[in-house]
Amino acid sequence: MSEKNTMQERNMTQVSARQKIVHGASRTLTYAFLIAMAVIVLFPFYWMLISSVKSLDEYRLNVPTFWPRQLLLSNYVDAFNTASLGRLFYNTMLVGVVSTILSLIITVLSAFAFARLEFKGRDTMFGLLLATMMIPGELFTITNYSTVTQLGWMNTYTVLIVPFLVSVFYIFLLRQNFMQIPNELYLAAKVDGTSDWKYLWKIMVPLALPTLISITILKMMGAWNSYIWPRLVANDEAHRMITNGLRNAFTDTTGDVNYPVQMAAVALVSAPLFLVFVFLRKYIMAGVSRSGIKG
Amino acid sequence: MVDSKQKWKAWLYLSPAIVLLLVFTVWPIFNTVRMAFLENYSGLKAAAGMQFNFGIGNFLKVIEYKRFVQCLKNTVLLCVLTVPISTLLALLIAVALNSIKFLQKGLQTIFFLPYVTNSIAIGMVFAAMFNIVGSFYGTENELIVTAGIINNVIEFFGGEHINWINYGSTYEANMFVMVVYIVWNALPFKILVLLGGLQSINKQYYDAAKVDGTPRRRVFTHITVPLLSPMLAYVIITGFIGGFKEYTSIVGIFGENMGPPNDAGRLNTMVGFIYDALETNSQGRASAAALILFAIILAVTMINNQVSKKRIHY
Amino acid sequence: MKNRIVATLLAIMLMTVLAACSSTPAAQNNDADANQTAKALNYDGSAVEVVFYNTMGANLSAVLETYIAEFNKLYPNITVTSTNVGNYDDCRDQISTEITVGNQPNIAYCYPDHVALYNLAGAVATLDDMIASDTVITRADGTTEILGLTDEQVADFIEGYYNEGKEFGDGKMYTMPLSKSTEVLYYNKTFFDANGLTVPTTWDELEAVCAKIKEIDPESIPLGYDSESNWFITMCEQYNSGYTSATGDHYLFDNEQNHAFIKKFNEWYNKGYLTTQKLYGAYTSGLFTTLEGVKSYMSIGSSAGATYQRPAATADGSYPFEVGIATIPQVDAANAKVISQGPSLCIFNKANEQEVIASWLFVKFLTTNVNFQAEFGMASGYVPVIKSVTANPVYADFIAKADGGNYVSALAAKVCLEQKDAYYTSPAFNGSSEARDQVGALLSKCLVLTGDDVDAQIATAFADAVAECEYAN
Repeated sequence: MSEKNTMQERNMTQVSARQKIVHGASRTLTYAFLIAMAVIVLFPFYWMLISSVKSLDEYRLNVPTFWPRQLLLSNYVDAFNTASLGRLFYNTMLVGVVSTILSLIITVLSAFAFARLEFKGRDTMFGLLLATMMIPGELFTITNYSTVTQLGWMNTYTVLIVPFLVSVFYIFLLRQNFMQIPNELYLAAKVDGTSDWKYLWKIMVPLALPTLISITILKMMGAWNSYIWPRLVANDEAHRMITNGLRNAFTDTTGDVNYPVQMAAVALVSAPLFLVFVFLRKYIMAGVSRSGIKG
Repeated sequence: MVDSKQKWKAWLYLSPAIVLLLVFTVWPIFNTVRMAFLENYSGLKAAAGMQFNFGIGNFLKVIEYKRFVQCLKNTVLLCVLTVPISTLLALLIAVALNSIKFLQKGLQTIFFLPYVTNSIAIGMVFAAMFNIVGSFYGTENELIVTAGIINNVIEFFGGEHINWINYGSTYEANMFVMVVYIVWNALPFKILVLLGGLQSINKQYYDAAKVDGTPRRRVFTHITVPLLSPMLAYVIITGFIGGFKEYTSIVGIFGENMGPPNDAGRLNTMVGFIYDALETNSQGRASAAALILFAIILAVTMINNQVSKKRIHY
Repeated sequence: MKNRIVATLLAIMLMTVLAACSSTPAAQNNDADANQTAKALNYDGSAVEVVFYNTMGANLSAVLETYIAEFNKLYPNITVTSTNVGNYDDCRDQISTEITVGNQPNIAYCYPDHVALYNLAGAVATLDDMIASDTVITRADGTTEILGLTDEQVADFIEGYYNEGKEFGDGKMYTMPLSKSTEVLYYNKTFFDANGLTVPTTWDELEAVCAKIKEIDPESIPLGYDSESNWFITMCEQYNSGYTSATGDHYLFDNEQNHAFIKKFNEWYNKGYLTTQKLYGAYTSGLFTTLEGVKSYMSIGSSAGATYQRPAATADGSYPFEVGIATIPQVDAANAKVISQGPSLCIFNKANEQEVIASWLFVKFLTTNVNFQAEFGMASGYVPVIKSVTANPVYADFIAKADGGNYVSALAAKVCLEQKDAYYTSPAFNGSSEARDQVGALLSKCLVLTGDDVDAQIATAFADAVAECEYAN
């Protein structure tokens, strides 16, 4: 009996030892795979950064250097001036901030109406709104281009802000969030004589704050990444946005492309989003996983 | 009394959204359909008082056009290549991430990084990596300086450098670069969603499998994938919809030339085609192309819904 | 639920389609003959605002503003507002949309292709009646001028530039030249002198010079040509072999003669004689000005880009080599043809005739004012459009200083003014810009062809290009 037991025990330890080896090997493999993938994902960023401080001669070497021989920070100054990044940053920030604020207000109001107020045709209307999400944006652009021309908005900040203030998707997100807030709160507030308006801003908005932050971030990222619409409607120097400026500054070149300077410009343009990401990682990832759209 | 007041109030709350939606969403839908069915419609000609025949001429003209077929082919090819590759890679990474504890948060952050980038800006980095600098082709004294890191690596391993995106590059090479870039760009979102899905799967299933001694591969195909199927369907469908609207990633790498210098427009996509038609003031054809794109996206969505109904396990 | 939404959406779309049948596009008042009223054209002194779209950067805008002030001394009631709207393409896209809604500007920078597009809507004013008008107008400073152009003024324009305004197939005048550029041949004068090379005046001579340069410096690519489109179109003009026509069958460029010159250039390319902007991947001035590695010794590029064709100055302010500038090679040196480029001005029809006349007065002022032409020319690197500009002492001094170093843009301007009889412009019609793009792409595609069936490949490329052009119509 006892012998049998020890046998079993030995077997068990053998098995678990083998398991450990298998387990350890597969663990090593898993890490190896993940780290290899992480290196691939990170490589473009690394390459951008080290290229951005190389001299053009060093950049062109047949055997590339993986660490720059000298740090040529003047590339960043050149990049800033070549692409007049100051103006581009300003325009992009202005459009981003203003459109985010206005968009949040409109979204909150609409989501509240759809979530809490009773009116005829509410659900049909909401359904129709959701249906428009399937339509590709290009379909709207064709007509919107002539609409904004008619309104005399070409080459203004207005044209970069107003047409995209309403996002059906954001209304949808926020409505879902509002619906989760128990109805009793609302009814209690009504009994207390709290107006809808006060209830919305004092109770519902604070409760839905995470969603609102996600929307803010998505909207700001949208401003940062927008390319097609600004190119169509506001490509003058005064209102040009960052992406367009970047692409323009390095397409109309005379002579050879100075890649290090171009990489410095790209690094400068990427930096703000990275900083925001570092501080608001949780909200960004939460917002993005619900959106399925970039920008 | 209260009801009618509330009704009135609801519309007040909705009014900013409704006004903007009417102008920038509803009217464009009507107008696009109108222009698509007016043959050879052009805003300028309309301004001159010209009348247009009603018919499907715009659609025929667009479909018959060689360049449109090329755009459609590029778009479909990019979708078909990138969606499965990126989904599979993302699934593997997510499963691997889910199985570890040490470094999990750090790696997860790294894998998300490509998302917080500007696709045109990073496209320029990829272009630099695949580029050949100072190349003069075809001449007797052909001189090639490979400064693109990718070619440096290939040559380091004894391979021949490849002309990826420069003058005289092949369609296959161009496509390869695009696929690499789009997959790189698409990974973060997919990993995020799939990892979220994995983390919500009840641990009991795995514990049960462990007790039964089910091999890991079987666990993966019989437990993980089925339980993850709603998330998989979600990333696949958003992947296809995004894929059909591909445009800026190509601008990032090739510039507005949409192809290597000797073959402008070679890599143009559906969206690019619509914008090109706008440039020649052919709103009729642009609208027709936009409706075709819409039809394709609608079809893909519906097919996906049908498949999902049969395959997804909730 | 979802299906019902889709169905509703489709139903709505269908209704729109049906509604579209009966809808008529809103026609706006754009009577192209608005000027041909019975009463004589006259500026009645009324206050009008004139909006002028252009692509001028800050330094050119400054010049313009000075002369708007000058103009306002004569016509205080005409307010000119200058707006930068981006680049030429932005300008075209914006205006063509604005025309459809009726809020186009009064005056715009234009290329002939743009005007052809705007004229789909008949939006551009014809200038013939105003040019011919001899109505006398008294200006604010008490002096007078006639509304139109005097014979002397017309004769003062460089003929090729002036005639560009009439290339629209109906013989009418739609644009006035503002400032122009052309293509010139830049050569490394130091190198040419040292090796006893003569500057080629014909393509045959060019071929011989290229061969010699290859003997001297086998590493080099003797010639860089910036614009493939210009090259093709200019060859058609020099051979008189047919490129496009504003009327009838538009696309004439698929012919034997054109196949032949493409074949010839293909052979030159394969001998390593030349490259182009697209092949090189950047303006060929980069190759021309470089001092090490692969070099070129001749570069054909815009006369407005002369400073880019000059090598970087050394520490003591001198240049490593001297730049020479000449007329581009010809098929027949006695009958030279060079392309005319650069902005013209067009005026848009407006319901208020006074706006059109006021616009014309401003356009006339800019294009005939010697001081403006001189100053604008020096600031932009473009060439003035009137011959009398050389009478302007500052400009005459500028031209006199022309050399292959510090005053290389003066040298370019001088060559441009000297070849004043050689300018041509190609016809403009809806689709002419597509033709321009297509022949450029065609040339760069054909240069790199190799193998036994080059002729067949060239023929296919031509046929494809014509097909592409025809779709655009």
